[in-house]
Amino acid sequence: MDNQLILLLIVLVPTVGSFVLPVLNCVSVKARNLFALLFVLTSFVLTLAILPVVFSGQTITANFYSLTLHADGLAIFMALVSSSLSAIIVFYSFGYISHYENQNEYYLMVVLFFGAMMGLVFAGNLIFLYLFWEITAITSWRLIGFFREKQHVLRADKAFLVTMFGSVMMLLGFVSIYYQNGTYDLAALKGSQIPNIAVILILAGILSKSATLPLHTWLPDAGVAPSPVTALLHAALLVKIGVYVFARLFIATGFVIDPSWHTIIPIIAATSALVSAGAAMLETDLKRIIAYSTVSQIGFIFLGLSIGNEIGVVGAMLYILMHGMAKGGLFLCAGIVEQNTKTKNIMQLGGLIKTMPVTAVSFLLCSFSVMGIPPFGGFFSKYMVMTAATQKGQVWISFVFLAGAIMTIVYLLRVFNLVFMGQSKTQPVKEGSPVMIISVALLAALSLAGGILIYYPSHFLQITLLQLPGIIR
Amino acid sequence: MNANMLLLPVIIPLLAGILILLVRRLRGIISLLATGSILIIAIALFKQQLTYSLPWLGFGIDFNLRLYPFSAFILLSITALSFLVMLYSCSFMQGKNYLNQFYAYFLITIGLASGAVLADNLVLMLFFWEGLLITLFGFIAIGGKDAFKTATKMFIIVGVSDLCMMIGIGIVWYLTGTMTISTLNVPLNTLGCTAFVLMMIGAIAKGGSMPFHTWIPDAAIDAPLPFMAILPGCLEKLLGIYLLVRITMDMFKLTPGSLLSSLLMIIGAVTIVLAVMMALIQKDYKKLLSYHAISQVGYMILGIGTCLPAGIIGGLFHMINNALYKNCLFLTAGSVEKQTGTTNLNKLGGLWSKMPVTAVCFLITAASISGVPPFNGFFSKEMIYGAALERGTIFYIAALLGSFLTAASFLKLGHAVYFGKRNQENENTRESSLPMLIPMIVIAAVCVFFGLYNRFAVSYFLEPVLAGQEFTEHTSTLLIALTVIVLIVAILHHIIGAIVNGSGVKAADHIHHAPVLSGIYDRAEKRFFDPYEIGLKIVSIASNILFFLDRAVDWIYDGFTVKLAYGLSGAIKRLNTGNYSLYIIWSLLGGLIILILMFKGFGS
Repeated sequence: MDNQLILLLIVLVPTVGSFVLPVLNCVSVKARNLFALLFVLTSFVLTLAILPVVFSGQTITANFYSLTLHADGLAIFMALVSSSLSAIIVFYSFGYISHYENQNEYYLMVVLFFGAMMGLVFAGNLIFLYLFWEITAITSWRLIGFFREKQHVLRADKAFLVTMFGSVMMLLGFVSIYYQNGTYDLAALKGSQIPNIAVILILAGILSKSATLPLHTWLPDAGVAPSPVTALLHAALLVKIGVYVFARLFIATGFVIDPSWHTIIPIIAATSALVSAGAAMLETDLKRIIAYSTVSQIGFIFLGLSIGNEIGVVGAMLYILMHGMAKGGLFLCAGIVEQNTKTKNIMQLGGLIKTMPVTAVSFLLCSFSVMGIPPFGGFFSKYMVMTAATQKGQVWISFVFLAGAIMTIVYLLRVFNLVFMGQSKTQPVKEGSPVMIISVALLAALSLAGGILIYYPSHFLQITLLQLPGIIR
Repeated sequence: MNANMLLLPVIIPLLAGILILLVRRLRGIISLLATGSILIIAIALFKQQLTYSLPWLGFGIDFNLRLYPFSAFILLSITALSFLVMLYSCSFMQGKNYLNQFYAYFLITIGLASGAVLADNLVLMLFFWEGLLITLFGFIAIGGKDAFKTATKMFIIVGVSDLCMMIGIGIVWYLTGTMTISTLNVPLNTLGCTAFVLMMIGAIAKGGSMPFHTWIPDAAIDAPLPFMAILPGCLEKLLGIYLLVRITMDMFKLTPGSLLSSLLMIIGAVTIVLAVMMALIQKDYKKLLSYHAISQVGYMILGIGTCLPAGIIGGLFHMINNALYKNCLFLTAGSVEKQTGTTNLNKLGGLWSKMPVTAVCFLITAASISGVPPFNGFFSKEMIYGAALERGTIFYIAALLGSFLTAASFLKLGHAVYFGKRNQENENTRESSLPMLIPMIVIAAVCVFFGLYNRFAVSYFLEPVLAGQEFTEHTSTLLIALTVIVLIVAILHHIIGAIVNGSGVKAADHIHHAPVLSGIYDRAEKRFFDPYEIGLKIVSIASNILFFLDRAVDWIYDGFTVKLAYGLSGAIKRLNTGNYSLYIIWSLLGGLIILILMFKGFGS
């Protein structure tokens, strides 16, 4: 098959397919569920199919009327990460969401969200980038308010409004870029100079989507969503949109910006990492803690990207992969705990390791990866972004992140001890359903495999470095 | 010799550990086979020089292993002691819980430790080094119901030090542009010194020096005993001191008299004295030993901190001696625990006639650690004394004081456990089984051998480490005489103390209850000075401030913006009175403003 057609299908299959799902429900529930997974897996397999082309150092550009799709190493990497994680999360949903109503809406929104993510990853011009960006905002708005309680809907509104505020700012930034360069096409914009005002506007969008201080508080509030949704939104995909677009614009397209940004953005990232780590230390709601932890870890990703040297960028991209797997696992474990004990308050939980051994061990292993302990994958990504800062001579900033990393260890162990160790405080509970524990165990195993087989993703990213003109050498 | 052989000491134990977790049977045989085979490999590789390389992360971070005299020596020590402790565990752990996990963690620990020693790339070393955290965590956590708290404490303390090392490695890379250990030569400017301190933190924290020690006494109570014998007792010392020597000698090339060298010596001296002071008042066999495990690392750091060849050799010799006798001492504690069911000194006594082999092994190794000639501990301590005296009398005095207290606490321990009055409950106690006795006997014998043939041990095992640097011993008859006098004083002190205070356990109680000391001791027992507790308090205060900031930001969205929107729309609402003439006036005014602006625009 033609590579350009494959590229189009990667985006269109889930986007269009999502609308077929409610219809399939008329056939059977099983068919709908299977097709939801199938659409996600199709994107995954098709991305794998064009991997060799990009691996050999080429890129693919496809034009369909005005829709431009562009696949380079960065996009392929991100697409593979997103689609594989989404597939696991959709699989987990089979077990989790079967207890609730409005399943049609759920699968429609999840698959549409995923399709939009694929579109955003491969988008070759700024307008389509923005378009897919907003589709993810609308779908996530519906998904956060999925349970329809009044407070949940308000939280969903908050998330939507904050990210919308950011994205409109970003659109203004795109407009000012157009005003200056006369094009929205990313290929044509390569290496162009960007005024500071546009950088600020675009950053507002990126920071709001990736939940970085001061635009982050919608993320912990959005923890009211169903657990697979939080895993999808807060860990694997939504929060990575911002960092990905940062990489896409400032590194892959190589926008030339004022050098002082390479100091300012790490400072924002560092503050964000510290503040949210402090919040994670004191929160008592299991999902809010993990959400704050995400905010904190996003700071590390921004550090690597904004420092912008080779090891920083590779480290940040690896961080997206490792964090997605591990944090997704944590959210899914939290979902099992929440569903079986009917509470998210860690003070009311305890001793669950006896009845939920698989969940507990998976939680611990995923925590190790988030903490950055070898041989888990998180170690390498954390090491690389921290080294990136010292490599640029900004030793002090790596010390701030050191504090953040220490706090990560403390609050994750605190959560683990409170929830899984000690005395049991709830009614005797069961382990999650097989589908659910397979998913979390798989994510834990992938976190481990990511570390042991680090050579492969690292090697792939180093090949793609050649396609990234924005790297500071 | 094939360079691929280098992978085996790392891979065999790792695979064996995973195998045990998977098949859940035959753990004893698999463990002994795995440790036995890597011991044979380590012997075969001894005195070889090999390198192994594989592409890995990129950016100059490759999977480089290097065998040279120093790493070969450490590897041999690790594998030999692991094998002995594994043999011991097979008998000791019978009937305990979580056996599969125990053996798996044990084996994986050995694999990671071998990897850390052989690694010739800083990141690879950190990979194995920090990986030990997980097996340590599991090792302690399987100990009992509340052991996970100690495991958490260990994880946080060691994790923090490992993260410090991570930054240190980053700085080294920035300064030199390479991460291959054997080619490193870091300049000692401000940044270089920072890097040294950060890496030193990693090294001495692994060694269990103050102020990173507080989890070790806790673990002595919670963790399974073979864990104490193999990890804080020897593996961690070997690793920590190995790295410390690497960074002071090879990577940073510290000079005697430099600030950093003094810093190391101060840490060493303080660790020696404070830890042994705590050891003196312990009433539990294992806990007392665990404080000595901390105190002894002080001697090694002191010796290496002198940066004199004699001090470094002394520190290394002490490291291997300590690994031997401390391991054996923990094993005797396990033997007593297994046979009597307790390690509480008040409940023990008179075991000499019941457990003669254990008692003899204890006596030899206790004499060793107290520095009694002609056992091995005496010679390594003398080398350290000589080097310390050359750098400053105060260090020498601290070391000597440490020796006095060490001797005093071991006299107390030996008296309380093996002599004195026998407890009623222990009348039927018998000697341990053979698999437990053999490791103890072997190690005790090596202690005697290294004492009697100390010149051979130093020249065969240790001098190659210096790679040609000349070293002269600074020891003299006067120093030896002083050591002997201190030992005699310690014995007299014990005899008088035992008579005055009534029993062997209480022989040092007058120090415990001395005017100023008793207050300090009380606070120390309540963990007033525990850096971990202090650190957690700091983290908690910082978190409160940060959380407040977070809530403040959130208020902008949930409070401020909402009020602003309501306020603005309220104001606009009030303007809408329904009065049409007012609306017309506004429209006209607006039109006028637009007109003016347009004309101004055309005008310019």
